[in-house]
Amino acid sequence: MKDTLSIINQMQADGVIDHYAIAGAVGATFYLEPAATFDIDILVVLPNLPDSSLLTLSPLYTYLSHRGCRVEREHIVIGNWPVQFLPAGDDLEKNALTEAVPTEVEGVRTWVLSAEYLVALALRTGRLKDRTRILEFLERGAVDRQRLRDILSCHGLLSAWEHFERRYL
Amino acid sequence: MNRNKEEWRKYMASLSFSEKIRILERLRERSRVIAAAGLRKQGATARQDSDKRAAD
Repeated sequence: MKDTLSIINQMQADGVIDHYAIAGAVGATFYLEPAATFDIDILVVLPNLPDSSLLTLSPLYTYLSHRGCRVEREHIVIGNWPVQFLPAGDDLEKNALTEAVPTEVEGVRTWVLSAEYLVALALRTGRLKDRTRILEFLERGAVDRQRLRDILSCHGLLSAWEHFERRYL
Repeated sequence: MNRNKEEWRKYMASLSFSEKIRILERLRERSRVIAAAGLRKQGATARQDSDKRAAD
């Protein structure tokens, strides 16, 4: 993972990506106990290309392919880890990146989404594993519930949250 | 038993991110070994089936 993050940091330094942060199961591991996962989800802001309003992952894939990384379906394997890059497409994802938490993995600087944004994104995605993860965050006391409510309210997710509370809490 | 499990989970959650990532990597490696063993077994079964068909 150290090598994976070093390459992603270099990609950022070279201007191929702007901000990024670890999301998904690896992001959740920052706050919870480690749970086996196959890949790393990276939420990322892509730089605007001149003369284009489209956000495309092509420059990122080209950059990595030239450095020996191979594509496997929706992942690109960077230093042993399959990585899925998820361009931040809406305000929830963009704000999540703005408030990402800086940290280090074996001396390599990186960023992880805050617990509250990880929960908000999991709530919106809504798969069984997402709902399970939300419960783990709550059981561990890893989220600031008022901050979470503020985020959910801001992004139109309060009714989904109240449904979740009625069903699971 | 449950208390020990809960304490273990708390301990695991309290580790540094680097330590947790090392654990993730070991879990992933173990999954790969198990998956590879499964494929070898399937391969062996397929070979046996093929041998049987060839013998028939």
